[in-house]
Amino acid sequence: MDVGQMQRQWIDYTKSLFLEGFLDGQFLQLQQLQDENNPDFVVEVVSLFFEDSERLLKDLTFALNQNGVDFKKVDAHVHQLKGSSSSIGAQRVKNACIAFRNFCEEQNTDACLRCLQQVKQEYCLVKNKLETLFGLEQQIVAAGGSIPTELSFSG
Amino acid sequence: MAPSRSGGDACKGGAVEFPAGLRVLVVDDDATTLRIIEQMSIRCRYRVTTCTEATVALNLLRERKGCFDVVLSDVHMPDMDGYKLLEHVGLEMDLPVIMMSGDSTTSAVMKGIRHGACDYLIKPVREEELRNIWQHVVRKIWNENKEHDNSGSMEDSDWNKRGNDDTEYTSVADAAELVKAPKKRSSLKEEDIELESDDPATSKKPRVVWSVELHQQFVSAVNQLGLDKAVPKRILELMNVPGLTRENVASHLQKFRLYLKRLSGVAQQHNGMLNAVPGIIESKLGATGRFDIQALAAAGHVPPETLAALHAELLGRPAANIMSTVDQATLLQASIQGQKISHAEHAVAYGQPLVKCLSNIGKNFPPSIITANDVSSAYGAWMSSNITVRPNNSVERVGTQNNNMLMDMLEHRQRQQPQQQPLIHDQSCSINVQPSCLVVPSQSSDTLHAVNSCASINQDCSFGRNAIIDYSLLSQKSNNSITASQFPGGDTKAQGVLYGYTIPSTCSMSSINGSIQQLQNSTLTFGSARALPSPLPMSDRQDPYGFKSGDSFDQVCLRNLGFVGKDTCIPNRFAQKEIESSVSDFSQMKVNVDSSGNTLQEEPNFINMQKGSRPIIERYQSCDHSSVFTE
Repeated sequence: MDVGQMQRQWIDYTKSLFLEGFLDGQFLQLQQLQDENNPDFVVEVVSLFFEDSERLLKDLTFALNQNGVDFKKVDAHVHQLKGSSSSIGAQRVKNACIAFRNFCEEQNTDACLRCLQQVKQEYCLVKNKLETLFGLEQQIVAAGGSIPTELSFSG
Repeated sequence: MAPSRSGGDACKGGAVEFPAGLRVLVVDDDATTLRIIEQMSIRCRYRVTTCTEATVALNLLRERKGCFDVVLSDVHMPDMDGYKLLEHVGLEMDLPVIMMSGDSTTSAVMKGIRHGACDYLIKPVREEELRNIWQHVVRKIWNENKEHDNSGSMEDSDWNKRGNDDTEYTSVADAAELVKAPKKRSSLKEEDIELESDDPATSKKPRVVWSVELHQQFVSAVNQLGLDKAVPKRILELMNVPGLTRENVASHLQKFRLYLKRLSGVAQQHNGMLNAVPGIIESKLGATGRFDIQALAAAGHVPPETLAALHAELLGRPAANIMSTVDQATLLQASIQGQKISHAEHAVAYGQPLVKCLSNIGKNFPPSIITANDVSSAYGAWMSSNITVRPNNSVERVGTQNNNMLMDMLEHRQRQQPQQQPLIHDQSCSINVQPSCLVVPSQSSDTLHAVNSCASINQDCSFGRNAIIDYSLLSQKSNNSITASQFPGGDTKAQGVLYGYTIPSTCSMSSINGSIQQLQNSTLTFGSARALPSPLPMSDRQDPYGFKSGDSFDQVCLRNLGFVGKDTCIPNRFAQKEIESSVSDFSQMKVNVDSSGNTLQEEPNFINMQKGSRPIIERYQSCDHSSVFTE
């Protein structure tokens, strides 16, 4: 595969992520913030997101499996996860968090556990997708090409 | 290439176009969001500093007063509620604070407004939104200007003065200036009273510059008359300053009264705590006829450790303020030049010259101390009250405690040493710190001039400038006897200054750690210097100057005390450096100031300095991206 093909593949893949709702406009903002001075900005931020999310998910699992669930704490964690996912544009994760918070308010442990599962699932999905995307980027750069900076959604 | 992480132009760089160079402090526990906002700020060409913890941010703000133009804070943070941080910042530094939250409900936004937030951004924050935040800074400056214009007090041309030399800090100030009165730049004068036409935006009546000197005259007049009986007409007569009108005095008096009121009001809140401190301090001081930290320390009456322990105990935390006080002391000297300080904050701080500083001080002043204060001059009393820093709700308000202790000490000292000049009171006050105190009104202008010339300390954001500087420096080109460079070792004045500041540094350092040792050592050094009544090395200085300079320092310190809450701008690092430099050479100190001031410019370093905060840079470096690429 030549660089041009890889770049087109990258564009298509990115578009699909948007169309399928994995990513939203905020991710575009991230991409725009990346420049020659900060060439790895997107990867950097997404890595931060992965780190934080994994920690939060672990904490959530722990908190919800307690005998006496501290919903305030659970809500705080979910709020944070919602915040960080929305900041990178991980739309589906964010939406799952919103639903999660509603059940936290109701103090419904079972529902919360289900929500947690949902959030974990969405997280894994988007993580996979982004890692694939970054892999493509790596290949492009390795082949001497550059990552497209414009994503036109026309056609 | 992108500049340092701060994203702004070089610290020492040339002028930047507003709003580029806006100094932003971002606080958010979410690293992802923080990094994004940081990058956006860099894109906006702001000078951004990030923090993951509110407590660290607050320390940062206190230590580097005048270093920031605006604060962006998340609402939900683990260590401190964003609203609480908002309150602290509003009270102590009066910086515009913008809240951020994913919560877009009306009630949440309303809560932000109620707490005084300038704006409320819904996360995720977009770059366009960040590009607009400068408006809050400018608005605040303008409003404050108007306030002063209308009340006929502080002259905002001083902002121009400060803004002149430090281009990188002039962005916001300049913008404000440009909008308000571009022509004022040329009207810098070294007089107490400047009558300038207001900018078109406000009224046209001439404004009086309440320089430190002028204010001191005012205060002594009030003291003489007794605060209760002080009426503008009589004050005016006593002051005997040509060109000053009764209206000027009246409005100034009004602010003064408000300030005192706030002092006592705040003091009441902390009565219990404060009372505890005075007792201890006074008993310790009682043994000595005069307030002499060194002597006390040496005699074991009030060992630095004790003071530090008291602080730590009462405040539960190192007094960042205190350290900054020390820094401030040195900075004051250097910063007396004042003009150099051109941070946007100056504009902000400047906007509050007497009123706000006073009010801040007032808040901390415990009633007990006030009543106990039998200082002969009301001025002294006022100054004592100024010592207290506003009380903090949390333990972070070390400054308050510090102030209380200092106040007691000062008080004691005042009683013990009714020295010739009313400035003496200031001496005790000087312990506390705010650099602004340094301006000594009583100094003869020629000596002051000489002093001024030395104080070229570049006013990087670190120096407390704002309120303090404004206050003291207002037109104090000539009053800057405090310039550090003027006082080589052995200089009574210098010693006085150092002396004045040792306590705070000691206290704060002790409670903090490591660096404390250095401070303590240097404190002792300073103290001993104080003990020697050696004539000023600068023999060309007039005697009165030398003597007075010491007093003036104190006086300034007193004033600073008042402003501690607001203008504790000396960064820890700076302070440490200051202390470590040879005591005997103030000019050396000055150099240090410069250099440390310079180093302080580097945001990344600063961030890394903060204990407890996760250094952004380090974090990035350690980030392992390899996993990202595994397929």
